[in-house]
Amino acid sequence: MIAFIARRLIVSFFVLLAATMVIYALTALAGDPLEDLRELPGPDRDRKIADRIERMNLDVPLPLRYLSWLGNLFRGDLGVNRDGQDVSVLLGNALSATLQLVVAATVLAVVIGVIVGIVSALRQYSTFDYSVTFTAFVCFSLPLFWVAVMLKQYIAIEFNDWLRDPVIPPTVIAVASLVGGLIWAAVLVGGRRARLAAFALGAAATAVTLTLLSATRWFADPGIGVVGLAVLAGGTAVGVTALISGLRHRDPLYAALSAAGIGVILSQVLDPVLADPSWLEIFGLALLTVAVCAGLGYALGGLLRRQAILAAVLTGLVTAGLTFLDRMLRGFADYSDYVRGRPIATIGSSTPNFKGDFWQTNLDVAGHLLLPTMALILISLATYTRYSRSSMLEVMNLDYVRTARAKGLPERTVVTKHAFRNGMIPITTLMAFDFAGVIGGAIVTENVFGWQGMGSLFLRGLQQVDPAPVMAFFIVSGSAIVLFNMLADIIYAYLDPRIRLS
Amino acid sequence: MTHRRRLGTFLTAVTAGALLLSACGQSGNEASKPSASATGGAASGQTITYAGEQEFNSYNSIAVNNLVNSTAMQRVLLGFWYYGENGVVTPDKDFGTYTKTSDDPLTVDYEFNAKAVWSDGNPIDCDDALLYWAAKSGKIKGFQVDGTTGVELVKAPACKAGDKKFSFQYSEPFADWESNGPGAADVLPAHVAYKAAGMSEADFIAAVQAGDAKKLEAVIKFYNEGWVIEGGIKDMSLFPASGPYKISAMQPGQSLTLSANDKWWGAKPATPTVVMRVISQEEQAQALQNREVNLIEPQPNPDLLAQLQGMQGVTVKTGDAYTYEHLDFNFDSSPFKDKTLREAFAKCVPRQLIVDNLIKPLAPQAQVLQVRNVLPFEADYATVSQGSGSEAYAQPDIEGAKALLEKAGKVGMEVKIGHNLPNPRRTQEVQLIADSCNKAGFKITDAGDEKFFEAGGPLATNTYDVALFAWTGSAEVSGWSSTYTTAKECSEAGKENNNGCYSNKQVDELIKKLNAEIDKTKHPAIIAEIEKVLWSDLATIPLFAHPNMLAWDEKLQNVVPNPAQSSVTWNMDKWALAQ
Repeated sequence: MIAFIARRLIVSFFVLLAATMVIYALTALAGDPLEDLRELPGPDRDRKIADRIERMNLDVPLPLRYLSWLGNLFRGDLGVNRDGQDVSVLLGNALSATLQLVVAATVLAVVIGVIVGIVSALRQYSTFDYSVTFTAFVCFSLPLFWVAVMLKQYIAIEFNDWLRDPVIPPTVIAVASLVGGLIWAAVLVGGRRARLAAFALGAAATAVTLTLLSATRWFADPGIGVVGLAVLAGGTAVGVTALISGLRHRDPLYAALSAAGIGVILSQVLDPVLADPSWLEIFGLALLTVAVCAGLGYALGGLLRRQAILAAVLTGLVTAGLTFLDRMLRGFADYSDYVRGRPIATIGSSTPNFKGDFWQTNLDVAGHLLLPTMALILISLATYTRYSRSSMLEVMNLDYVRTARAKGLPERTVVTKHAFRNGMIPITTLMAFDFAGVIGGAIVTENVFGWQGMGSLFLRGLQQVDPAPVMAFFIVSGSAIVLFNMLADIIYAYLDPRIRLS
Repeated sequence: MTHRRRLGTFLTAVTAGALLLSACGQSGNEASKPSASATGGAASGQTITYAGEQEFNSYNSIAVNNLVNSTAMQRVLLGFWYYGENGVVTPDKDFGTYTKTSDDPLTVDYEFNAKAVWSDGNPIDCDDALLYWAAKSGKIKGFQVDGTTGVELVKAPACKAGDKKFSFQYSEPFADWESNGPGAADVLPAHVAYKAAGMSEADFIAAVQAGDAKKLEAVIKFYNEGWVIEGGIKDMSLFPASGPYKISAMQPGQSLTLSANDKWWGAKPATPTVVMRVISQEEQAQALQNREVNLIEPQPNPDLLAQLQGMQGVTVKTGDAYTYEHLDFNFDSSPFKDKTLREAFAKCVPRQLIVDNLIKPLAPQAQVLQVRNVLPFEADYATVSQGSGSEAYAQPDIEGAKALLEKAGKVGMEVKIGHNLPNPRRTQEVQLIADSCNKAGFKITDAGDEKFFEAGGPLATNTYDVALFAWTGSAEVSGWSSTYTTAKECSEAGKENNNGCYSNKQVDELIKKLNAEIDKTKHPAIIAEIEKVLWSDLATIPLFAHPNMLAWDEKLQNVVPNPAQSSVTWNMDKWALAQ
C-alpha cells in the first residue's frame, strides 16, 4: 500500500510539473499584461509600466520566468500578483471561501443523491422511479446561472416577503399534502390497500404538520424545542436501528434509544455551555458524543455489539446535530430583526459588519450559504441519483444477491449488507472527481452569488494575464484532483477486496 | 434475564436524566438570554447599503483616478466645493469659504473653517492646501496626478504652519477658477504623508514652497502609493476623514464601511453607517429587491429598467450623465475635408431615430443633443442651443443629401465609421446610419475595432472617415478646449483630443477668450458663438447625452441623482432610511 502511494505520488508530481509548465506558458501568452497601463494618459505611464515589468519579471524571457517562479514555489513562495499583493494570502482567502461553499453542498448532494438513487433502484419502474428519473434529467439540464436567478427570486426574495406574515395558505397545504402522500405511497411496496393507507397517512401527516407550523407562526421564530427534539431523536433511533440491525433484536434499539435520551437530556443540561461556544468546543462535544455513544453501544449491545455501537453513534450524532440546529434557531428572531426581517441573502458570503454571538454569526453564514448550496446540490444531485441507481440495479441482479435471498435473509440485510457496499464502489470514484473538480469549478456559482473564491481568483488572473494567481489556483485544484483520485483508489481497494493496490 | 436487567438500567438512567433536566432546564434558559440582547443592540435602521460594481481601491483619488474612489470619498474627504444638484459647482460652506479678491492678477482667497479638523484631531490648515498644490501644479516632479490644468497657473501659496487662510494667485486669467480650487475628495491629510516620510511640518511647508522635489521624495512616494488600498486596510490611522463620515472598516472584495465621524464639526449625518458593497451589475437588481442593498446605480438597459420598474417599493430614476455621444469627421485623411460631403452626411444621419430606438427605451425623457458642450440638464442649455444651427439637421433629409452628393460627384462614396468594440449599441447606431445614408448614395461600412482607442489604433492614426464615440463633459469650460483647438501638429502625439484635426482660427480665438473669461455669466454667450461656428463648419455631429439609471428602496429618503461623475453620493449624509 505504501509503495502504491509513493509511486502514485511520484508519478503525480511529474504530471503536475509538466502541467504547470503548460499552464504557465498559456497564461503568460494569453495577452498583453501591460494593456491597461498603455491606455493611461500622462507622464506617469512609463513609470507604472516599468514598475509592473519589474514586479512581473517581464524583461526576462518566458522559460526563465517560469523557472524562477518554480524555484520560488519550492521555497514555499507563491509570489505576488501584478499589483504586488501576496498570492498566498489571496489564495488562503479564496480557498476558505470556496471550501465553505463547496463542502456542505457536495456532502449533501452525495448523501441525498445516493439515498434517492438507491430507493429508486429498489422501486424500479415504479411511479417514484419515473418521477426521480424525470426530475434528475430536468435538474441535470438546467443552466446554473438560471437556477441561481430563480432561487434568488423564490427562495430568497419571495420567501423573505412571506416571512412577514408566515401563514401557509390552505391551497398550498392541500397541494403539499397530496404530494407528500404520493411520495409515501410511491416509496412503499405492497398491495393497493397498503399503498392507499400510506398515501392517507403521508398526506395527513404533512397536512397536520403544515397546519401546525402555520397556526403557531413557527417560521417567524422557528425552533425545535425539547418535545420536538425528543420525538425526532426517538424517531432517528428507531429508524437507524431498523436500517442497521432490524427491529427484531432489541439490544441495539435500546442502545440507540438511550443515546437519543441522553442526547435530549444533555441538550438541556448543557445549555449554559452552549451559550457562546467556539467551533473547537463544538467539535470537542461531538467527539465526546461519539465516545459516550460508543460506550453505550458496547454496554447495551449484547450479541449485536457492533451494530449497536454504530446505531448508537449515529443516533447520538443526529441528536447532537438537532440540538445544534435548535440552539442556532433560538437566535433567529434577533438575527432576523437585524437584517430587517430578510434572513435569506442573495449575494455575498456574510452581512457586512454583522457581529453576533457564535449562533447568530453561523445563522448569518447559513443564510448566505443557503442559495448557492441549493444551486450546487440541484445540479450535482442528478448525477449521483443516476449513478447510484444504475450501480445498485446492477448489483441487485447479481447471483450472490439471489443466493443471499435464497438463504432466507431478510430484504433489509440483503440490501444494506450485501448490495449496498458493492453498489457504492463506482460512486466513490465519482465522489472523488466531483469534489476535486468542484474546488476549482464553482466559478459560475461564485460569480452569480458574489463570492470571492477560487473561481474569481482564477478568472481575474487570466483576464489580467497574471500567471501568479492562476498558478496558485492550478496548484491547489490540480493537487486536489491528484490526491482525491488516489484516495478513490484506496477506498476502492477497501470496498472491493478483489482489488490489490500494487 | 439479561434483557430485563439492561432495560432496568436504561430506565433508571432515563429517569435520573429527566430529574436532572427539570433541575437544570431553568437555569439554562436564563443563561441564554444575555447573549441574545447583547447582539440586538446593532439597530437595523441605522445602516444604508449602496451597491457598486467596482471596489474602492484608493483613498487618494487624484493619484488613482478611478471613479469609484471619488464616489466613495465624496463625504469623507471634503473640499471647498463639490458637484451639487445638476452637476453645478457648489461651495461647501462647512469646509471653508473662498472669494475672488482680484481680477488682475486673478487671486482667490481661501479660508478653512476654524473648527475644521481631521478625524485624528489634527487641524486642517496650510499644510493640506500645500499638498494639494504640490501635487496638482505639476511644479514638483514625481507626484502622480490626473492632470495639472489650471493649478499649473497658480503660484505656491505663501501660508505658514497652522494658517487657516491661503490664496491662489494665477499667472493669467482662468475661467474655471472656482472648480480649480481643492474640491471634494481632493484635500488629503498632509500630516499623514509627511509623518510617514519622517518629515516635520515646517520642513514640509518650506520644501513645498521652495519646490524642492528631492527633499519631498519620501512624501511623493507615500502620496503615490501609501493611500492605495490593496487587499484591505492594515493601518486605519493613515486614513483620517474631514467630513461627516470616516472609513471604519473594509472587507476586501466585499464592502467598505463608512461611519459617522465623531470629530465632524457640521450637522450630524442622518444615518450613522453607510456600507458600499461590491456587487456585479447583473446581481444588483435582485439584491435591491431583497433589500440587501438600498441603492444601486447600474448601467441602463431596457430589460433591467422593466425589471426594476416591476418591483414593489423601488423607485427608479433615469437621467442624463455628463457624457455625450457624437460623430467626428476626419479632417486629416478622408474626403470629409470637403464641407459639401460633411453636409450631405449630416443631412442623412437619423439623429431622432437613433434616440427614439436606442435611448428612449432606457430613459424616456431622452432627447437629441443640439450642441456639444452644454448638456440638456444644464441651466444654459436652452440659451446655447437656440439658433445654433442644429435645427437644419433635426430630421434626415435624404433628397437633400443625395443632391449634395451628386453635386460633388461622389455618389457611392465609401464611409468607414470607426468605433470601439464590443459595444452593441454603437453597432446598432452604425446600422441605423447605414440604413438611412445608403439611401442617399453613401456606402457605409462598419469599421468597429477592439483596438479603436489604443495607441496606434484607428482613432490615433486617423484611419476612419467618421468616428463614433463619447466624450465625458463637465461643468468646466476648460475641459473641452483641446477638442476643438487647432492641433499643434496632426500626429498621434500632437493632436491631443482633437482627433480629426479640425481647425478654425475663429474657434481658436473664441476658446481662448472663453478660457480667460473669469465672469461666469458671460460664458453662455461665448459658448453659443462657438457652437454656431462648429455647426456651420460641421466639425462634429452631437447625438445624445448618455443615460444613467438609479434605483433605490423607496423608504430611502433624500436620494438626489447627480449627472457628475462623483455621482449620487454627493449628499450621502442626508440619506435616511424610514422605518
